[in-house]
Amino acid sequence: MKASRVWIFAVVAVLGLLLLASASEAGKGFDDKEVRVGQFGPLTGPAAPWGAVLRGSALRFQLVNDEGGIHGRKIKYFMRDDQYNPAQTVTVIKELVENQDIFAIVGGVAGAGSIAAKDYLTKNKIIWIGPTASARELVFPQTPYLFCLTPLYEDEASIMTKYLVETEKMKKIALMYQNDSYGQAGLAGMRQRLAKYKMKAVAEIPVEPTERDLASHIMKIKNAGPEAVILWVAPTTAVISLKTAATIGFKPQWAGGTPLADYPMMHKISGGLWEGVINTSYVEPPDSSLPVVVKYREAQKKYMPEERWGLFFMGGLLVADPLIDALKKAGKKLSREAVLKQLNSAKNYKTIGPTINWSKNQHQGVDSAMIWKCGPGGKTMVMQGWTQNELATWKKK
Amino acid sequence: MDMKRDYFEDVQLFESNVVLFWSVALMLLLFAIPFFAPKYYIFLLNIVMVHVILAVGLNVLVGYTGQISLGHAGFFAIGAYGTALLMLKLQIPFVVALLFAGFIAAFFGFLLGLPALRLEGPYLAVASLGFGLAIMHVIGHWQFFGGRTGILAPPLDIGIPQLNASFILQTDAQKYYLILVVAILMVIAARNIMKTRVGRSFVAIRDSDIAAEVIGINLTIYKTLAFAISAFYAGIAGGLFGFVLGFFDPFTFNMILSIIFLVMVVVGGLGSIAGPIMGAVLITYLQYSLLKNIAEVPVLGDFLVTVSSRWFSVMGLENINSIVLGLIMIGIVIFEPLGMYGIWIRIKKYWMTWPF
Repeated sequence: MKASRVWIFAVVAVLGLLLLASASEAGKGFDDKEVRVGQFGPLTGPAAPWGAVLRGSALRFQLVNDEGGIHGRKIKYFMRDDQYNPAQTVTVIKELVENQDIFAIVGGVAGAGSIAAKDYLTKNKIIWIGPTASARELVFPQTPYLFCLTPLYEDEASIMTKYLVETEKMKKIALMYQNDSYGQAGLAGMRQRLAKYKMKAVAEIPVEPTERDLASHIMKIKNAGPEAVILWVAPTTAVISLKTAATIGFKPQWAGGTPLADYPMMHKISGGLWEGVINTSYVEPPDSSLPVVVKYREAQKKYMPEERWGLFFMGGLLVADPLIDALKKAGKKLSREAVLKQLNSAKNYKTIGPTINWSKNQHQGVDSAMIWKCGPGGKTMVMQGWTQNELATWKKK
Repeated sequence: MDMKRDYFEDVQLFESNVVLFWSVALMLLLFAIPFFAPKYYIFLLNIVMVHVILAVGLNVLVGYTGQISLGHAGFFAIGAYGTALLMLKLQIPFVVALLFAGFIAAFFGFLLGLPALRLEGPYLAVASLGFGLAIMHVIGHWQFFGGRTGILAPPLDIGIPQLNASFILQTDAQKYYLILVVAILMVIAARNIMKTRVGRSFVAIRDSDIAAEVIGINLTIYKTLAFAISAFYAGIAGGLFGFVLGFFDPFTFNMILSIIFLVMVVVGGLGSIAGPIMGAVLITYLQYSLLKNIAEVPVLGDFLVTVSSRWFSVMGLENINSIVLGLIMIGIVIFEPLGMYGIWIRIKKYWMTWPF
């Protein structure tokens, strides 16, 4: 054969193979003995502290399995480390769906990676309950399989601003926000609330997530003379902000959202500066005396004594609860449709987080958060119970 | 045994019929894989092949020319963003966009090559590291590039949509064939480059740049050329990578990734074509697959879980990823400086001279 003919043959062969390669269906995700559930998140790398969510869910499933499982089926739980890197998020999710044949995903700690995950999981009809990144573009447009049980970042910011203005009677509020979708959501929430009071923030300062020298940012905020500064940034940035402000003698009321509300940790890494900071939170306080919190806390001492009983760990328990509840109600004859039906009819469902209401047309099930204050030694003080964001934009039809 | 008697013997693609036979067998196997392998492994192979392209290119720079780069994630990012944005914003067909993004990366490689004329060793490493980090932050800062939120890759249309000749690749298996063909072409091209005057100049520069200059090799041209070629490979790999993932943000292309790329080349074997291929396959498989699911491997998994709950930190078994990769690196540097390719050479020699 001449070389050109070899080429033509090769091209035709490859095109033929391209046509032959087609898609196949995913499995059903359970059998008579087990239901397979997965979760992904950063267990190693810089974001590793958030990995406690994955271990929290592990505890919840272990509890269920020790109670004999659900209708004779045990939960088999897969944890996957994605190091908070979208490339690895996609890989581990594909592995969970295509190799382990999972029924559902609970939680899932990923920022940008979640958006990529959403399309893929929807295509494969995998139920996904409680992603911890409460970004608007993750929940909306709604899919039949994704259920959200944390308030959106913008709702949290709105609730925080409401508390500062109405309860603390503050007039001058500044915001420092991370320059990404998380920070932008905080900005939107604060603006929405202030607009209701016909007020304006005295300063809105964006910050890059990787910036470490925040002196000029803090100076700008100080010069605006705010009474309260809301931080919608990553924990490291928040701590650097407080330290920088302390060195120039700037002491406003600091405030933040749930990502900054792990008080023992924040208190420790800020060298005690975190004391007095106000946060929103979508989990009951760690030392709460609610029976269900007490039950989980005891279980943690028994099964995972090396683990710290903190906010993120509790988050893991929180996201696992609705799936267990739906599996129980769906009965012995299990199917994705049966579980979806139960999830879609969740009314006033509450465990260790906010009250959840899901319906067929609304999968953003939560609009409220608590207000906490960091006490001495990183103790949690509840300033205000569950507070709704009555302005939530997604509720309007 | 590897004696060459004339020039043709040195440049031919297949050294003997045995090599030809096994190469054809390997090709047949590679093209047949999607018909029997589970879907997930096809996706994994896509990532592996993207890394193969990059590692082969990086090896042109590190292994053959003796320069170092800790900034290849930057070129990788340029390729990914370049291809996707050219397609999204200018509606350029995929093939053209991919090539164009490769050349953009090559241009930046050329720019990075300029300081390399004066820098060596650790100084060059730091300069290239700075480049990689800068690219990541520039992309993250500019809303035009999608900012920190990242961008969704457009549908992978290998036809020309303007002429109504669309051919959209949707499944992983379809993308597999595309990437496989590109990877094969790129590997053959790398092998051929190294057999030309340019390739021999690279090797001369690696062995002694002063001697190379004395015998008439223009260091300015060839050093920057090595960077440009290497960056071109990274750019093409990045362009494909974007479609394998379907979504990426600037921090996908972080410093750790640059280091992992270097690990692939070093573990595989510097200064060979087969080496970086083996390195990329091994490291990608370990990092993306085996070490992530090791807890479910029978017997070994249970054993490691026990060990980790007894000795490791609260992160538990997840630390194994870094531990194993680190141990492999240390082991290779101490026991087998030629990498996996060195092991292969020794096996080959052993059988060729057997029973002596």
